[in-house]
Amino acid sequence: MKTVNKKLYKAKSKKVLNVVITYCVLLIVCFIFFFPCLWLILASFSKSGSIYSFDGFFPSEYGLDAFKTLFTDTTMYNYPKWFLNTLFIAAMSCIIGTILTILTAYVMSRFRFKSRKAMMKGTLVLGMFPSFMGTIAVYLLMTQFGLINQRWGLILIYSAQAPMGYMVQKGFFDTIPYSIDEAARIDGASNFQVFMKFTLPMSKPMLVYTALTSFTWPWSDYILPKMLLQDKDLYTVAVGLMSVADDATQFARFAAGSIIIAIPIIILYFCLVKYMINGMSAGAVKQ
Amino acid sequence: MNKVLTKTKGFFTGIPGKIKNFFTGLPAKFKKKFAYAKEIITQANGKTCASMLIMGLGQLLYKRWMRGIMFLFLQAAFIAYFVLRGASDLFGFFTLGQVEGNAWYGIEGDNSVIMLLMGILSIFALIFYIAIYIVNVKDAYYLQCLDDTRKELPTAKDDAAKLLDKDFYKTALTLPVIGVCIFSILPIVFMILIAFTDYGGDTVPPALVSWVGLENFQKILTLSQFAPTFGKIFVWNMVWAILSTAINYFAGLGLAILLNKKCVKGKAFWRAFPVLAYAIPGFITLLGFKTMFSNGGPINYYIQQAGGSAVEFLGLNSTWSARIIGLCVNAWISVPSIMLLATGILSNINQDLYEAARVDGASAWKQFIKITLPYVLFATTPVLLSQFIGNFNNFGIFYFLRDGYISEGYFLASDTDLLINWLYTMSIDNNYYSIGAAISLIIFIITSVISLAVYVLSPSYKQEETFR
Repeated sequence: MKTVNKKLYKAKSKKVLNVVITYCVLLIVCFIFFFPCLWLILASFSKSGSIYSFDGFFPSEYGLDAFKTLFTDTTMYNYPKWFLNTLFIAAMSCIIGTILTILTAYVMSRFRFKSRKAMMKGTLVLGMFPSFMGTIAVYLLMTQFGLINQRWGLILIYSAQAPMGYMVQKGFFDTIPYSIDEAARIDGASNFQVFMKFTLPMSKPMLVYTALTSFTWPWSDYILPKMLLQDKDLYTVAVGLMSVADDATQFARFAAGSIIIAIPIIILYFCLVKYMINGMSAGAVKQ
Repeated sequence: MNKVLTKTKGFFTGIPGKIKNFFTGLPAKFKKKFAYAKEIITQANGKTCASMLIMGLGQLLYKRWMRGIMFLFLQAAFIAYFVLRGASDLFGFFTLGQVEGNAWYGIEGDNSVIMLLMGILSIFALIFYIAIYIVNVKDAYYLQCLDDTRKELPTAKDDAAKLLDKDFYKTALTLPVIGVCIFSILPIVFMILIAFTDYGGDTVPPALVSWVGLENFQKILTLSQFAPTFGKIFVWNMVWAILSTAINYFAGLGLAILLNKKCVKGKAFWRAFPVLAYAIPGFITLLGFKTMFSNGGPINYYIQQAGGSAVEFLGLNSTWSARIIGLCVNAWISVPSIMLLATGILSNINQDLYEAARVDGASAWKQFIKITLPYVLFATTPVLLSQFIGNFNNFGIFYFLRDGYISEGYFLASDTDLLINWLYTMSIDNNYYSIGAAISLIIFIITSVISLAVYVLSPSYKQEETFR
């Protein structure tokens, strides 16, 4: 009797230990992920703004000055304008890019045509090419089309390149049973109608995932806008903030600007995290 | 493990057979095509011949207005393009310009680079035109056959319906294919061709660029300027890609398993922190970390407070501290996405497997090794692959953390630079375009060979048809 009790006690204490360790590790992980964000948030509320006036991680004095200057002092760093540019470019590329990507993925998943396998392998191989070496060519092309220093030029490039990443979406469409399509087709629906009325409504998680990724890419890209937008008023936030970050005395302004452009994405992610998990794993798991 | 080995072996030993099959299959394929072409040429009536002369004319003679006008319009557009610019562009592709510009004498010379680029575009247009032409002749012949056998010819309405149904793939793919051709494939072809020219250094427009063959590759592998730097960077690049992929993958997987534990309450709350890190744009994270480890940054502040002297974490001579910081920061950025992915996959594992394992007395570790890991590895091979490639070409990390240093013993590179960073410094900052292009071609060959092999072996490629 005593030994049984002892065993039970041992098992129980092992379980408790397990839980304690789990939570300790979780706490450490959360600290690691949260602390840099907290630091940036605190820094944005620094009064003097320069990194040199900080006591380690913490500003010596707090105030809202950084946010104020961010929106009012626009002679050197025109943040409001950058923000609107970025929003416009990202939103337009998101809409066009999502449509093109979803169409490509759907077709690649549902149709069997002559050059299909070749196209699939081709896109895979081309995707390996170090992409920014191509940006030199893209830049030259844009000079020929007269689209340098134009926001539409960037939108055109982002949306045109989006279908290259159709693989995840195709993986998702592959998991939607074919029998649904067949049933609809027996009822006389065309492929286009099947796509609009059945496949699309069923692919909500994938649509959200695609829209989100094709929004965040232009939202945080810096290589292309840096090359194509030379006018300071046309900068996107990424390019603009890079010029702010070079100046250590403007650290609070950089932090404030970063927080403002990170917030929309963070809200989007938290609202859509469920879709993200479904979308990502649906594209990967195929068995 | 053995299974993987035999599979790999099978794949590589299978290559010669596949190549042989491809070539032995070619004559039959061509024979069929020639036979069809011959049939069209010998059987063509007047209207089909009209289509061969002027695209769309045959269709118009058959009173298929929509088709006819479309082909006619495409031909008119192509001829206009070719007369206005295409022909000279095509010519320029081979010469790369003959008149050297000279501002002194006011001569506006040829810009070789633009000529090369627009030359490629004109070749694309030519291929596109030929393809349309063939479609046009086939279409006219198809109408002829229908007419000969007294069948009803399709009306414009039929055509439109077909484009939304059986041929929906053509409708849907037109725009994406054109976009990808111009903005993804054209730049890549351009860069590949640049690798075979002497573009760069002093030879930039207005100077004329010319074709030089394999000279650039020779330079990279033999010249004392490039060869040692290339070797050193390549080794570090491989180490970086393997290490960072392994760290990110296993840390992400571990985090997902941890959050998946039954005893963890409030999963959404705990998950929020990594998602927060994931949501912040990468360049902000990188610039933030750079400031954190900079000389005036908070970490050095505490070191100095404790009586130490400031440590140069990311300075010129801090090879390994910079490399390790790079690995950690990269993990901070990439682990959350893998965690999200693994969370989704873990929830798909059949829980009965664990039940059975527990009944058999398997420890938690054994369950992980025997059930979780194989399943997750199986499901995420493509992701693992894209992670590897992404890390191999991870431009942002060291571009932001440690920009602008040139280390001793390196040519225009620092000791943390990856090949892609070296490329950037050489081509964008220092005009070594052709060498840069040659290096990117080498990177491309390495990564594509690895990934194509893994991709073809991966279950998700082989079992593509499971759900059909």
